Amino acid sequence: MQNSTIQAAPLLEAVELTKVYEDGVKALNNLNLVVREGEIYAMLGGNGAGKTTTINAFLDFIQPTSGKALINGIDANALPLEAKKHVAFVSENVQLYPNFTAMQNLDFFVRLGGKSHYERLDYERALHRVGLQSEAFDRKLKDFSKGMRQKCGIAIAILKDAPAILLDEPTSGLDPKAGKEFTRLVAELRDEGKAILMSTHDIFRAKEIADYVGILNNGELVAEKTKAELEGVNLEELYVEYMAGYMDEAPVSGSLSNNLS
Amino acid sequence: MFKFIFIKELRDIIQSSRFTISFAVCSVLIILAFVMGAQNYLSSKAQYDAAIQENRNQIAAHTEWMMVEHSITLPPQPLMTLVTGVSNDIGRNIAMSGRGELRAENTRFNDEPIFAVFRFMDLEFIFGIVLSLFAKIFAYDAINGEKNRGTLKLCFANPLSRANFIAGKLVGSFVGLSVALLIPILIGCALLPVLGVQLTTDEWLKLSLILIAGILYFGVFLAITIAISASTVKPSNAFLIGLVVWIFAVLIIPRTSVLISGRIVDVPNIDEITAQKNRYRTQLFDEDRPKMSNFQLPEGTEIENAMTAFQSFMSDLASARQEKIDVFNARLNEEYSNKKRAQEQLALSLSRISPTSVFTLVTTQLAGTSLNLQHNFMDEAYTYQNAYADFMQEKTGSNRSSGFRMIMITTGGDEEEPEPLDPDELPQFIFSGQSFSEAAQAGMIDLSLLILFNLIFFGGAFRAFLNYDLR
Ligand SMILES: Nc1ncnc2c1ncn2[C@@H]1O[C@H](COP(=O)(O)OP(=O)(O)OP(=O)(O)O)[C@@H](O)[C@H]1O
Ligand SMILES: [Mg+2]
Repeated sequence: MQNSTIQAAPLLEAVELTKVYEDGVKALNNLNLVVREGEIYAMLGGNGAGKTTTINAFLDFIQPTSGKALINGIDANALPLEAKKHVAFVSENVQLYPNFTAMQNLDFFVRLGGKSHYERLDYERALHRVGLQSEAFDRKLKDFSKGMRQKCGIAIAILKDAPAILLDEPTSGLDPKAGKEFTRLVAELRDEGKAILMSTHDIFRAKEIADYVGILNNGELVAEKTKAELEGVNLEELYVEYMAGYMDEAPVSGSLSNNLS
Repeated sequence: MFKFIFIKELRDIIQSSRFTISFAVCSVLIILAFVMGAQNYLSSKAQYDAAIQENRNQIAAHTEWMMVEHSITLPPQPLMTLVTGVSNDIGRNIAMSGRGELRAENTRFNDEPIFAVFRFMDLEFIFGIVLSLFAKIFAYDAINGEKNRGTLKLCFANPLSRANFIAGKLVGSFVGLSVALLIPILIGCALLPVLGVQLTTDEWLKLSLILIAGILYFGVFLAITIAISASTVKPSNAFLIGLVVWIFAVLIIPRTSVLISGRIVDVPNIDEITAQKNRYRTQLFDEDRPKMSNFQLPEGTEIENAMTAFQSFMSDLASARQEKIDVFNARLNEEYSNKKRAQEQLALSLSRISPTSVFTLVTTQLAGTSLNLQHNFMDEAYTYQNAYADFMQEKTGSNRSSGFRMIMITTGGDEEEPEPLDPDELPQFIFSGQSFSEAAQAGMIDLSLLILFNLIFFGGAFRAFLNYDLR
């Protein structure tokens, strides 16, 4: 569907997004990216590259120094309450409220997201969908493993049913099986038409499911590839080259550098 | 949105094991405070009744009012059950005399030092120390704990305003925790009549104001704690800062204010005053000495009347001296008590920067066990002194202090068997204490201060959160 001639309107859009922290660290430098309906955009980049900063800008957790983060066309920093109606978020290492059961956590966050018509059955369905065993539904979160908590996190995002989803390293720390299941879920959500922006260190999974892969280095988007462009390319090599090349201020061997966005 | 956060907060409190444990501990302590307080009051009451009976027996054992050593006793205040205040520390007995100074003696701690050891277990202590700690333990990670868990980010990924979040949080935790606290307190109150403490309507009203003050006080510490939590990143730091604040507010400021005001207002101690009085007495006596040695019988005095004449001369001298002494002593006493009260006032005002002091002041005022209890007792005793002097004047023809009674006895020469005295003839000393409206008025300033503290710190927590880094 992303190949249709009339492109869908961007649901997540960073426009010349720049963030300089108070201590002078330039975490984002003129970042431009677009995620449309039914697309997964994977941000790759080393530690401190600016991935989390990007996501934080969309959630109004930081005020950009210049530029804009738009959700469904709404400036997330100017109208945060309006913008956040259209986005769901799953953080790295979801913890939720440890004294609440899975159900109670779901209920609280989903209501906070503006959906108050759900019933227990809907929650159960969502938890089933993310693969949580029924016996855990009414257990307190403090006894949950990381994988189980992450499942609750994505269930909340699913139930919020927002057109855009932000995922910050959602699979970090999950075992391979849980990581695979999670990736499958994300792909499903994309197929339902969600616009998904995720940061990750998992190059293989990114290549597997992403429609766009962006490589960030020192707050700059140094490469952006479509799925088609990555066909047959060893993304890991590419990634390392970009990272190394950029640091040496002498980017990359010939043919690939043309694809710099 | 406010509603969701509010309900979430309530649920979070109730479902936490931290709450279960501290609620259990607090409930036990509160109920214990009621039971021990009631026992404390009842044994005070028993002592009081015994003292009154003893005084009556003593009167009835005499046949001459001149011989009576009447003393009045301060009745225990029923609300000392919950707020002991100074009631165990001040003298409860005053030996009555027709004139001159009165001195309250026999504190409860004198008779039963064990109470000095266990004095701290009243409800005021439980509130002042335990509940403020309870607020600390509960809320030190209210905000930064959510940040560390990532729930803050997750909440604010939704269309939720900071104002709604912090308001829901503050109100939710305040309501949740204070309702929880009120449960054992109300049970304790209901137990009071069962435990043998009978309260009048006025006292019930005072008690409810005391409870309101307690909840307000709890609110202050809760708000301070949340404000600290909303200004720090690490819960462990918040806990430490909170502990330091707590130590200053609860332990240090109330004490140092007394020391500081002691430095500022120089009040001579009571022994110096007694010494001064004795010096004056000796001085006057020395001045009279030449007159005594120059005593001459008036011309033509019969020898059998010489003794009487000498006695009346001496007695005139003595009463002239006594008059001067009375004036002198009254001046000293007044100076002393003025300075003392000024010192107390200063100490209290200084200590009011700590909510704990304000709380102690307001509860002791309401319970009638503040320093005013001592002042009122003395004031009422002096008022009673007049009635007593009039009575004695009527009964004995003299309102002098006991030193002169021997004269009268020697002149008494009745043949008939003397009747024992009837204690009921004496004017009764009734300690009126404070009515509810008086007590409420006296406590109003401090109650308002507690409200002000709440506004300041809840406002502070609110403001701190508006600038909090959510990431
Ligand atoms: N509050 C802050 N103040 C100053 N600098 C910050 C702050 N937060 C982040 N940074 C800096 O901004 C840069 C980008 O950080 P960011 O967290 O976005 O990286 P990231 O790509 O998410 O890294 P990681 O893969 O480790 O999560 C880093 O250099 C980081 O040190
Ligand atoms: Mg990150």
